[in-house]
Amino acid sequence: MKATEPLRPEPATVLEVITETTNIRTFRIAFDDPALAESFSFLPGQIGQLSIMGAGESTFALSSAPSRRGSFDFSVMKTGVVTSAIHELSAGDRVAVRAPMGCAFPTDDWKGKNIVLVGGGIGMAPLRSLLFYLLDNREDYGDMTLVYGARTPGDLCYAEDRRDWESRADLDFAATIDTACAGWDGCVGLVPSVVEEKAPSPENAVAVTCGPPIMIKFALQSLDKTGFREEQIYTTLERRMKCGIGLCGRCNLGPKYVCTDGPVFSLAELRELPDEL
Amino acid sequence: MKFISSEKIPGFLEALSARSTVWAPRELTGSGGTVMFERWRPGDPIDLEHYSSLSAKDVVLPRTEKLFGYTYAFGGSPFSGGLGASGTAVAASDSDQAPATSGEQIVIKPAEPAPSTVLFGVRACDAKSIQVLDALFNNPGGEGYNDPQYSARREGLTVITLACTTCDDACFCSSFENGASEKAGSDLILYPVDGGFLAEGVTGKGGELLSEPFFEESELAPPPLAETAVIEGLERLQEILPGLFDDLDFWERVSERCVSCGFCTYGCPTCHCFNIHDEMQGDREGERLRSWDACMFALYTQETSGHNPRPTLAHRYRNRINHKFSYYPENQGEILCTGCGRCIRGCPAALDIRDVLRDALKAARKE
Repeated sequence: MKATEPLRPEPATVLEVITETTNIRTFRIAFDDPALAESFSFLPGQIGQLSIMGAGESTFALSSAPSRRGSFDFSVMKTGVVTSAIHELSAGDRVAVRAPMGCAFPTDDWKGKNIVLVGGGIGMAPLRSLLFYLLDNREDYGDMTLVYGARTPGDLCYAEDRRDWESRADLDFAATIDTACAGWDGCVGLVPSVVEEKAPSPENAVAVTCGPPIMIKFALQSLDKTGFREEQIYTTLERRMKCGIGLCGRCNLGPKYVCTDGPVFSLAELRELPDEL
Repeated sequence: MKFISSEKIPGFLEALSARSTVWAPRELTGSGGTVMFERWRPGDPIDLEHYSSLSAKDVVLPRTEKLFGYTYAFGGSPFSGGLGASGTAVAASDSDQAPATSGEQIVIKPAEPAPSTVLFGVRACDAKSIQVLDALFNNPGGEGYNDPQYSARREGLTVITLACTTCDDACFCSSFENGASEKAGSDLILYPVDGGFLAEGVTGKGGELLSEPFFEESELAPPPLAETAVIEGLERLQEILPGLFDDLDFWERVSERCVSCGFCTYGCPTCHCFNIHDEMQGDREGERLRSWDACMFALYTQETSGHNPRPTLAHRYRNRINHKFSYYPENQGEILCTGCGRCIRGCPAALDIRDVLRDALKAARKE
């Protein structure tokens, strides 16, 4: 789907609100126009703008499975004015959406490779969409590893999906929390440390990381230690955005715009750009 | 060429204003000499002698414009807490019909169509800047973004340019390929001569105006055009500036006097960064607006987490210069500046972009 007017959102309705953590909710949304709802498609890594008339709009990663037709998800952390308004939404509320925007993960280039996903907190949102896509096309890819961490068990999103991921034999999944706590019998340790422990082979592999900037910084160091080269590592960036079409001027990294040239970048691409993250 | 006498200009403008909205430069009453492009009506004075403080960018890219309107049928916006699951936003209908009932989908009312407009008395640097904006906002049927509102305004716009036979200390358009003889963006160009102006049609739209009874044939030769001061090597900045990016001392030094007022961006005919925001009118209706913004403002890139990728003035000034002379040329193949000098004339801290550019060129030579 491509909006006829990129700055004019399409009316949509909230179908369901899923409380992920104390400050993150996933909003399942469908376009009101039945033909648009059915034809809408996106690729993992792409983003969209969610509007509440009166509050404004903000940019979020599309966090659902690209193969799911008829509806899509945004996972939203309550942080500022617009996200606070979004967190007030209930099923049935009217919103408006501009999507999809930006470039996707180069999943075609990854065919035949082993995939390592490294996520932290709300940074799992784009990785969730990517993982759904990879699992939907499982035979196209090699070994698959997911390390997903948060500060506490209550800060981990996607409980239902995690149960599914844990039960799969074709996915090496570790959910980790920063420090041990009662009732948690899973992995304990910071995400980058867990990546180093797992030490996935860089041979014929790509790694994708998304999370808080500090986590990404150390995850990159861990991947470097395990032998991943810059061109094997991908991330997806966040910046303040307004237009989503490379015009309003906020989200540029040098001559590249996160909203159109990104949000997905390889580390090799980022190294070529001015350091202004 | 054709000729129009100075006495006939008001009549020409009046004829144009009968079928279009006319914008022309005039001194603002009580402003002590500030010239701005304003909506012209018969009888209004015009000032073709002085440079306007702000460019005429407003005519094609308004400082604030409505992208669309919306109305909630009952209750209010979720933002004001009044719209629940049963609330509905509906079209703000043209006929002001009663709002639809629950279950109606949100329909958004587009902004009103743009009137036909004549922009009179811009200089070559300003006309060229409209063509620069066109590359970003006006790509009907082609590659790139086509903004429906900009496009409609542009479609109905006629640009009548006043060629410069003189310049002032801040002008530096001769640093660019065509300088004062630049024709891009103009439909009709008026060259000042004794008693009036020679007129040259640049486009079909401009050529048609020459058939108006205000114009007569003339054997006069066009006057020599202004030659401004030149900064040599502006095109080399695209290669030079990336090497200066990490030299924050340089950027701190050149931006030291800047007070982040944003005039340089608002006055600039090529700057086009914007904000998008909603304004409620009561709790049932509102508009989504696009407004000029400025990369020199401290909160321009401030993220809601508190993180700001451009935390200091030096970072912001660095981005402004890089955008105009490095990033934009890389993306669009031309410099995002036409040498109009407004950012120099209007800077309250007397910061001169030409000094910064020369410093950058000099710093590169030292390496």
